[in-house]
Amino acid sequence: MDVRWINPFIEAFLNVMPQIGFQEIKKNNISVKSSSLTSSGVMMNLGVVGDLKGNVIYNIDLEDAKKIASKMMMGAPVLELDDMAQSAISELSNMLTANASINFSNMNISTNISIPTLMYGKDFEVKVNVDQFICVQMLVDQIPIDINIAVHE
Amino acid sequence: MEKIKIVIVDDSPFSISILKDLLEEQEFEVIGEASSLEETIKVVKEKKPDVVTMDMTIPGTDGLECTRAIHQIDENIKVIIVSSMKDDEIVKKAKENKVAGYVQKPADPEELSIVIKRAMADDNLLKELQGIYCDLFKESLTNNLNRIAKTIPIYEESIKLSEINDSRGISVVIGIIGKCSGRMVMDLSYETGKKITETALKREVKSIDEALAMVGEFANIVAGNACSMLNKKNKIFGLRVAPPTIFHGESLHLSKSNIQTNSIVGQTDFGEICLNIGFKRGEEEWM
Repeated sequence: MDVRWINPFIEAFLNVMPQIGFQEIKKNNISVKSSSLTSSGVMMNLGVVGDLKGNVIYNIDLEDAKKIASKMMMGAPVLELDDMAQSAISELSNMLTANASINFSNMNISTNISIPTLMYGKDFEVKVNVDQFICVQMLVDQIPIDINIAVHE
Repeated sequence: MEKIKIVIVDDSPFSISILKDLLEEQEFEVIGEASSLEETIKVVKEKKPDVVTMDMTIPGTDGLECTRAIHQIDENIKVIIVSSMKDDEIVKKAKENKVAGYVQKPADPEELSIVIKRAMADDNLLKELQGIYCDLFKESLTNNLNRIAKTIPIYEESIKLSEINDSRGISVVIGIIGKCSGRMVMDLSYETGKKITETALKREVKSIDEALAMVGEFANIVAGNACSMLNKKNKIFGLRVAPPTIFHGESLHLSKSNIQTNSIVGQTDFGEICLNIGFKRGEEEWM
């Protein structure tokens, strides 16, 4: 666990989110979490290998995920998290993590990422392979998005 | 091997003629040409090329608009920009429009040939992988289940081109990274996970966490072995697996993925084990 892993993700948000129409992007808080997470909502999991190994897991509330998908689809109303909306949110996690990966490479940390897997549901638990990890909560136009950086060197 | 079929889009007949000679000398087959958006759409629909070389400046349109039109017809067609202009801004826009390569005019024959072949190779690599991965993931699941629990799964006849959608309870997600990146999800019920763990440990499980950890490790081994076997078939794949993430819950769903995936369902003494696997072409590295 290293605090240097936080900034590449914040920069990725600052880079990517305005491109899809969000204006106010800020860091809300940073916490340290232990190996399991519980969630009701949407999670996007991307595997990481290279100088860092593990997973990056984004967590968004279901209603918020619909809002973000709607924004990405030029404001089209999103009532259900249907295939299109899921696809949009998956693509967002891919863009953010790919961008963070470039930011890492500028710090001489080489990483490669897998394709995203999106899971959603009620009261489910997630277990990752590290004991402790950093969770950064970002606010994009007041919508909270958690980035769980469950990687190790 | 069949020749790679190419359409040239350029507003100058002079440029078209130079490019045509150059490409034919490099053993490519030039099957058509176009000088406007309308002509581009027409010739691409009719001739179905593998590759289109695209000029950036075309009267009434531009190379990027033509590229988007081509990808609306068939997104697998590789568009390679061949233009006298090349700067960071244009290259960035080209990438955003899913261009497969960029060569500056006057085009160097060797460079253009390599860019075209590389764009096609990535595609062929994915096709090769898609042709073999289901069998190897099956083989890996069979071997490893046999190793830890002395039983082998019976597979449903058809491999489903579909998603798991509703999880059986436990879903282990494993990211795969390499020349083609992808993922494997192993999905099974709590009951199945518990039974496999008890058989492997030869005792009752103490807690659900013990079964989850076991299933996570099992999925990791299945994915890791399958990827090793794939790498042996073709070392260019260079596949590596990320550590497992274990999702579990009574109301858990796996989203339809942006890529085409295959589901392999194995019936075992312990219940169903489903593997959902998919790959996509690696990101183009043409900068």
